Amino acid sequence: MELKKLIRQPANLFLNLLFPAVLTIVFIFAFADPELGMSLNSVVPGLIVYAVIFVIMTIAQSFSTERQEGLLKRLNTTPMTSGEFMGSQIITHMLISFLQVIVVFTLAFLLGFRPDSGIQGIFLALPVTAIFSLSSVGLGLITATVSKTPEAATGISFVFILPQMFFGTFLPITSTTQQIAKFIPSYYLLDALKMIFEGDWVNTNIFLDLGVISIVSILVVIIGILLFEKYGSV
Amino acid sequence: MSSDIKSVLKQLDEKELYEIAKLKKINIPKNWSKTLIVELLALNVSTKDVQAIGTKPLVKRIKSNAVSAIIVKDLVKQFEDVTAVDRLSLEIKQGELFSLLGPNGAGKTTTINILSGILKPTKGTAIIAGFDVTKNLEEIKTVIGVCPQEAAVFKFLNARENIELFGNLHGIPKKTLEERTDTFLELLGLAEASKRMAKGYSGGMLRKLNLIMALINDPKIAFLDEPTVGMDPRARRKTWEFIGSLKDQNKTIILTTHYIEEAEALSDRVGIIDYGKLIELGTPQELMEKYETKNLEQVFLKITGRRILEGM
Repeated sequence: MELKKLIRQPANLFLNLLFPAVLTIVFIFAFADPELGMSLNSVVPGLIVYAVIFVIMTIAQSFSTERQEGLLKRLNTTPMTSGEFMGSQIITHMLISFLQVIVVFTLAFLLGFRPDSGIQGIFLALPVTAIFSLSSVGLGLITATVSKTPEAATGISFVFILPQMFFGTFLPITSTTQQIAKFIPSYYLLDALKMIFEGDWVNTNIFLDLGVISIVSILVVIIGILLFEKYGSV
Repeated sequence: MSSDIKSVLKQLDEKELYEIAKLKKINIPKNWSKTLIVELLALNVSTKDVQAIGTKPLVKRIKSNAVSAIIVKDLVKQFEDVTAVDRLSLEIKQGELFSLLGPNGAGKTTTINILSGILKPTKGTAIIAGFDVTKNLEEIKTVIGVCPQEAAVFKFLNARENIELFGNLHGIPKKTLEERTDTFLELLGLAEASKRMAKGYSGGMLRKLNLIMALINDPKIAFLDEPTVGMDPRARRKTWEFIGSLKDQNKTIILTTHYIEEAEALSDRVGIIDYGKLIELGTPQELMEKYETKNLEQVFLKITGRRILEGM
């Protein structure tokens, strides 16, 4: 039902599924050119990260709208526990991330993307991305906590989206900006996905990336839940 | 019948009353008088409980019907420097339709929000169906239904999906839920539109859906916060009939409304609240006699108007 609610909203449908699709097509045609120094294999991981960080906006809008319309208050009068509620939200948004990744992969595949790791790489990328999507859920909850209206949530979500977009997607980074990027969670997902698609699974760096992604995502989602339950739910 | 229960419980000593409370896992707040304890226990007393403590001669006289569905004592809600609810005390009987009236900002919605567990009281006690709002919220949520002031429905789900979502949250078996949904949709005239997304509904249709969602769990106690606001007169009348029919099912209904004729037509008793204080309480007839008026609206204007003038 949660998924149905989200998918039926034209804005969400656009942001979650059509936007990543359009972005994939445009960026592959525009930037995946070896002459520009960017191969298809280096653009696709960035597109996946890009799609997942936009979940921050979706979840912030969804929670602040439901709060503004009195729905959260109403749900609070039913026997559903806050753990069950948050659980359903997390699963729904992880599923959305999952769908986004499939959309990006499918389109990229049709446009010629063939990871060195083969199909196994794609299967490994899915759970790694799903773990990272937890951090987007957490940041979305933090955004919803500090936003009074859905409109404000949209604007404030860019505080979390933009740094991740600049330092952890497909935009080229210099050795200086790389130092900043090390403080941005999406940088580690990007790095991990690149290694996964190159079939470089034995590289120890991948475990470092996975460790950072897992720890940061779990911490951020816990902080998001606690803050939202204390200050943002009514 | 309910006075029977009370009189029987009054014959027990405090030790026996506490034993019953222990059996029923009811927390009795400190410093409560025997009268209040009796009221509280009367909600959940059964033959079995009394047998268990060996008061067999009383068994035949005990009935399981509750006396007071809601007991509120010295309830206070403070928002920074504003006292929204000010030492409110009242008792609402099981099966009673009680209307809480008052001007805008009088504290009606805050009171309902506290009684339904949305807000925590600053001070005081509220017992809902035998459960304390500050301690037994989970239990309270299983016996109440809340129709909020705003039409809080998921706009991108249709009526049936909205109702079923809330029914599922209450753990209602699928078949019962379907039957109950069909009945309510039919009764309130929403059956035809039930498969359309709620975002296309008129204000009145959203209100009806709002009400159904509050009652789908067949609650023992229903809080209806201005359920008919925005409805056309015909739909309002139909909804009044529907709300009135709930009394026949022995449900306790707490209604807030700005339509005083609604309260007069439906209520067993009316409480008038202003500045967070309960300033008048009685049956519509009693209040009309006391203030020598022909209808409840005149009573309301007399009381609240006088207070406005006093405050100037």
